[in-house]
Amino acid sequence: MTDPVAPTPSAAGSEAKPVSVVVKDIVQEYPSENGGVTRVIDRVTLSFDRTGINMLLGPSGCGKSTLLHMLGGVRPMAVKTPTSGSVSIDGKECHDAHDDSVMVFQRYANRPDLSVFDNIAFPFRLKLWKSRVPESEWRRRVADMLEAVGLADKAGLRPAQLSGGQNQRVALARALVLRPKILLMDEPFGALDAQTREEMQRLLIDLYRSWPCLVVFVTHDVTEALMLGDRVIVLSTQPARVADDFMVNEARPRSAAWQRSAEAQSLEERILNQLHASPGKGQVRVTI
Amino acid sequence: MPQFWNPYAPTEARRRRLLGVGSVLGIVLLWSAVAASDLVSPSKLPAPWQVLSAFSYLAWNDGQSMLLTATLWSVGRLLVAGLLVIGIGIPIGIVMGAAPQVNAALSPLVDPFRSAPVVALLPILVMWMGIGESMKIAFLFIGAVVYLIPMVRDAIQAVPQSYWIGARDLGATPWECIRRAVVPMAMPRIADAVIVAFSVMWTYITVAEYVNAREGLGQLIQNARRFSAWDQVFAGIMVIIGLALATYQSMIWLKRRLYPWETQQ
Repeated sequence: MTDPVAPTPSAAGSEAKPVSVVVKDIVQEYPSENGGVTRVIDRVTLSFDRTGINMLLGPSGCGKSTLLHMLGGVRPMAVKTPTSGSVSIDGKECHDAHDDSVMVFQRYANRPDLSVFDNIAFPFRLKLWKSRVPESEWRRRVADMLEAVGLADKAGLRPAQLSGGQNQRVALARALVLRPKILLMDEPFGALDAQTREEMQRLLIDLYRSWPCLVVFVTHDVTEALMLGDRVIVLSTQPARVADDFMVNEARPRSAAWQRSAEAQSLEERILNQLHASPGKGQVRVTI
Repeated sequence: MPQFWNPYAPTEARRRRLLGVGSVLGIVLLWSAVAASDLVSPSKLPAPWQVLSAFSYLAWNDGQSMLLTATLWSVGRLLVAGLLVIGIGIPIGIVMGAAPQVNAALSPLVDPFRSAPVVALLPILVMWMGIGESMKIAFLFIGAVVYLIPMVRDAIQAVPQSYWIGARDLGATPWECIRRAVVPMAMPRIADAVIVAFSVMWTYITVAEYVNAREGLGQLIQNARRFSAWDQVFAGIMVIIGLALATYQSMIWLKRRLYPWETQQ
């Protein structure tokens, strides 16, 4: 396979500063019911050193979300995370939440008490961003972002008045309004119906074009991985190991014709073979 | 009646009101019948019309309204105690809910009081604080705050962790996560705790005003009891029930206005 496609800089010329993320020998274990330990991630080593959409593909429950949370530095679990190994960003080991990345969750975590505008503007009410971005600037950014995700006419509505796809647009807008170096996406479209999922994938491609950054996108959908990714990292069933790691050298948006092409078919087969070769349970989705 | 045993079946507003008013009227009718039948002595159960006339006597007699004065005193005490409950109880509950170590330290001091006989504290309060206003307010405060603090703590702990994680990921400090994400999400349940606290205080008001009662609805009832004026006792109790109900309804209304998103979720 060849190198990933270099992202096209946006008209405004804005782009996240280059960032390097190194995941080294990550092991994650949880106490199991029988008093022992269950290993969910087994010595995973990965490195990301350029902008691009990196798909972290694996069967459900394989530990890929846990890995993503480690990249974000948010450690909600009661157990030590990771059990061993390290995550470094630009050479600096990361132990806690950091400013370089923003995460988009499957459950959008939109605040039901805030309007769409205030949900997107939420980070700017925090000390960290208040000190970095003046109000006139963030108001402009939020307005632009509302346009970009197609919710300008819904700025005053509350999340309960929006559909699932619209809610996920809010979550995506809230993340990108911060212009992050790293965008972490935890099966963000997994709960949406097929049509909305496709719309959201197209939107992500558009948004990425205007703000190219390092995207790590967790999915268990083989088709999604092939349609979006510059790079696809396949994780095996639990305990997760890197089963495959390859580039997809096709410009986005990828057409339905490409989806049916011999290249796409062979990549899909390659992924499924890797997954079948690994022991254990877990499901992937293929929608081709 | 296919909808009768269906807890999710909507009941139209008119029907609901009709059923509510009907049951109250039914009780009044039964009460009137018992009183009129001489089955129970009037000294034990005054008739509704006697209570009504006692009410009007208390409401206006000899150029003054004993009922209004008493109500204002009781409401005043309740408001002062209520402000203290809110001002002291909510912050403590929030801190307990937000910091597990504070909860571990304080819950053995707070939780047992939920099932403790708070009324038994009255003589101790009298001993410590005398028989003045501060004792009455302290009694109301303690009676309500022991319910409020654990409810506020539980409200904080019931907020899904995703809001905390989401805010933390966006760069919030742990305290900002609590202040900007967790507390706002807990507010409807905290409001429920305040509503319960006010209801509890209304149930304790007569006890608080028993000792050295000069003014207040409790004193009014106590005084009437001393003279075996049972019609006035009944009238006093009904005024308290009415005020408690009005407090509850207006607080529910306010809560819905403040947190309309709670029902939309």
